[in-house]
Amino acid sequence: MKKALALLLIFVLACSMLTGCGGSSGGGGGKDDGVIRVWVGEESADFYQKVCDEYVAAHSDFGYKIEVKGMDTGSVAGTITNDPTAAADIYTVAHDNIGKLAATQCAKPITDEALINQVLADNPASFQKVIYSTLDGNQYLYGVPYISQALFLYYNKALVTEEEAKTFEGLQAAAARENTKAITVTGDDGFNMCFALLATRVADHGTTVKIYEGAESVSGGSKGESNCQGDDTIAIVRWLQEYAADPNGFKWASPDGWDADLDKDNKGVLAVIGGAWHYNTAKAALGESNLGIAMIPTFKLTEAACEGLSGVKAGDEYRGGTFADCKCFMINANSAASKYAKEQELIAYLAGKEIQNRSYLEVLNVPAYVGAASFIEQCFNEGKVTESQFNLAAMQVSMAEWGIPQPFITGTLNTYYYSKNGPAIFRAMIDKTAYPTTGDQILTETESIESIRKGLYLIEYIWMHGVTPDSFPASLPEKA
Amino acid sequence: MASKAITAPKNKAHELTFFEKLGNRFSNFRKRFEDGSLGTKLAHFIFGAGNFYHKQYVKGAIFLLLQIAILAVMIFCPSINGTPYGWKALANLPLKNLSEGGGFDPATGHFTSGSDCKLMILFGFVTIALIIIYFMIWNMSIASSYKADMDKKIGKKPTTFKEDMAELLDGKFHVLMLTPTCIAATVFTILPTIFMIALAFTTYNSQDMNDLGTNLFRWNGLQNFAAVFTGEGSLGMEIKNRFLPVLGWTFIWAIFATLSCYFGGIILALLINKKGLNGKKVFRTVFIFTIAVPQFISLLAVRNLLGEYGPFNQFLKDLGWITESIGFLGLKTGDSEKLAKVMVIIVNMWVGIPYTMLMTSGILMNIPADLYEAARVDGASTFKMFFKITLPYVIFITTPYLISSFIGNINSFNTIFLLTGGGPTYTGYQAGGTDLLVTWLYKVTIDQGSYNTGAVIGIFTFIITATITLITYRRSKAYNEEDTFQ
Repeated sequence: MKKALALLLIFVLACSMLTGCGGSSGGGGGKDDGVIRVWVGEESADFYQKVCDEYVAAHSDFGYKIEVKGMDTGSVAGTITNDPTAAADIYTVAHDNIGKLAATQCAKPITDEALINQVLADNPASFQKVIYSTLDGNQYLYGVPYISQALFLYYNKALVTEEEAKTFEGLQAAAARENTKAITVTGDDGFNMCFALLATRVADHGTTVKIYEGAESVSGGSKGESNCQGDDTIAIVRWLQEYAADPNGFKWASPDGWDADLDKDNKGVLAVIGGAWHYNTAKAALGESNLGIAMIPTFKLTEAACEGLSGVKAGDEYRGGTFADCKCFMINANSAASKYAKEQELIAYLAGKEIQNRSYLEVLNVPAYVGAASFIEQCFNEGKVTESQFNLAAMQVSMAEWGIPQPFITGTLNTYYYSKNGPAIFRAMIDKTAYPTTGDQILTETESIESIRKGLYLIEYIWMHGVTPDSFPASLPEKA
Repeated sequence: MASKAITAPKNKAHELTFFEKLGNRFSNFRKRFEDGSLGTKLAHFIFGAGNFYHKQYVKGAIFLLLQIAILAVMIFCPSINGTPYGWKALANLPLKNLSEGGGFDPATGHFTSGSDCKLMILFGFVTIALIIIYFMIWNMSIASSYKADMDKKIGKKPTTFKEDMAELLDGKFHVLMLTPTCIAATVFTILPTIFMIALAFTTYNSQDMNDLGTNLFRWNGLQNFAAVFTGEGSLGMEIKNRFLPVLGWTFIWAIFATLSCYFGGIILALLINKKGLNGKKVFRTVFIFTIAVPQFISLLAVRNLLGEYGPFNQFLKDLGWITESIGFLGLKTGDSEKLAKVMVIIVNMWVGIPYTMLMTSGILMNIPADLYEAARVDGASTFKMFFKITLPYVIFITTPYLISSFIGNINSFNTIFLLTGGGPTYTGYQAGGTDLLVTWLYKVTIDQGSYNTGAVIGIFTFIITATITLITYRRSKAYNEEDTFQ
């Protein structure tokens, strides 16, 4: 009996081992099983399944069943690079992931002439710059834009007036009245830091900041030119230091989360800079009636911020910056070659203007094509969307005019813009704390113009090289 | 005296050194080749030839098929995701001649991948394992044939396949039982461990992969280990400046967490088992609730309770004792590291004590009552009985638990990660004030993508825990005086 039990145990163990050796399911897997699997954002999954079903019903010769699954768009690129064989045939990511996904051989180029022409005809030039990558030395179109997104402001309408929400100073005054902090961001990473680093002059939308400007679009080519040591950037850092030190100014999101800060009961902060993907969380924190949506506010440089800097003057007005991005459809490199033509046909349909418009009306995705603003306005005028739904789209469209697409160099695995040390140094400067770098170099203080310039030099160096330099140059040039 | 004279040589025979055993194996090879039949001699070159010679066809066919299969893999080098096994895998192990890009046919959409160093290393080790297995089967094939020779020599008929199978269910049942376990241990434990150790000698991190190309990295010798002392490399400063503080706190944490839960559990068990206490079962159940609730839920609940907007801070504010929230768990930069350390130890007591209480309750109930009876007769006080009977008894039995608990606390990922996230953080460093080696390792690998540095930290952690376990356990009474309480 004991031996029989032992044999049974071994049998179970062997079966478990064999099960463990089995392949994963749900992904493309390289086999053509008559199904095209599509991953989209969780909030849009039902909508895209519906329109895909409509397409299959209307095109009896399509020949494939379509399965749509909702994924967390923030982490989906990581999921795909971890195991591309388990990913869907078609997936959607923010455009700044294209370089990484192409370089890690998780994506297949788009080669269908009709689809390429559609992309070129429909999308703004700024998007067209960031959807190509290289393979075997050739440049290919990889991403097909279908959603536009930019950062904007969520604020507590019950405590802040519409006028106050237009400026950082107005928010500060409201915060003083409510004995709390004015504003926070949803994270302290390179993406969220853009509200300060990419701030531009209201008068002419100008800034000295350059991120990989003129970068070559070939693998291993030049990373172009970067600059973040301009007088305006130094002044903005000093202004933000001042604003953060104020008891009613800026605060980093608490460990409990930015939504806990914004919560109408906690009143930890009055406003937060976020994206459309934060809409539901912000609504839950404030309640729909208290949720205000506005452009990222403007601010005026103070005397103290401009002292000793020739390129700026007190009173200069700046608007908080944003990355103006697009989300794109991409094809999994591991998807069966026999599906390739149909995948491109399906993407042409899903990224077409008609479906983009419907996705705005049904799931509030902001269309990416040129001229979408007039459609959004028309929908509001015709009463097809509510005021907050209109604001959500209109503010993104408005902010897109103040932003640039996220840094991108085609054919490169990744840019160093998001290297964590860059934002960490920026945060250290805002907090006025010391920062250790490599080679025993330490930013012992981050308040003087010299040390801020050094800190910004480090950030710029990281953007270009991925690491901090072994030492600081003897003198840093002024980049007014 | 007579028995000593008999047992001594027997013991000596059991004490053959590893090298003596290895030497015997080689002399056996020669002996088998010289003394064996033609079949045995042939079996040195063709697996199963000896079995065919002795008409053991099924067994011979199995050996032959295994030889053909392994040789086919070695020669034809089948590949997975474009990375080959076999001799090509061995050729790939130095990680030279890497191909960055894949191949793509725009007309058909057919796509092929470039080199993948992770798979190259993994498949290289699998191939080495395959070679070792090849020689083990080679030895088994020769031994099987030689055994048949010997059987024939003494007039026995060589065993049939059926008899061999029956033997597996009888005399060699242990072999049948252990084989799947050994295979599972090799595939799921030994190979991944060797793979992870190998990564410590490479440039496998996201920074270098950016420079070299996708999935590509190189061997770099002992440079990652040297970084601990020199501060060079992308995480050099981190390792140089944070390794010792993290190591120190890991020990302090492990000692306090272990001892506080251990003695707290004993005291609680003594209280609950005290004669005359009503509702013992109720008390026991209440404390076991903390075990019944998944630990991560308890820890996240505590994190929320003590958070910036948590009820505890709110309560203190309502009382007017504080105006700003206290960072009990060091979740923010600038929060008190000492307070966070004290808090995690206290919270850990809450989740850890019930385990010890449960175990100690069982031990206390098993202490022979006559020991206490005798002590009472001798006039011992309750205090004395505790220190002379109860505590030694409990410590003796729970020493292995104490050691495993200590090691478990060194690797206590959940408690630290869920409560403090390793915070308070220090500007410019991944390792925060309450980070243990294991949580730091997580940040270095998952957040920073520095897998090689993570492997170095993992190796250091292993060396430390293995050393402590060996030393403490071998010096413990539970090991040296195994029979004392039996």
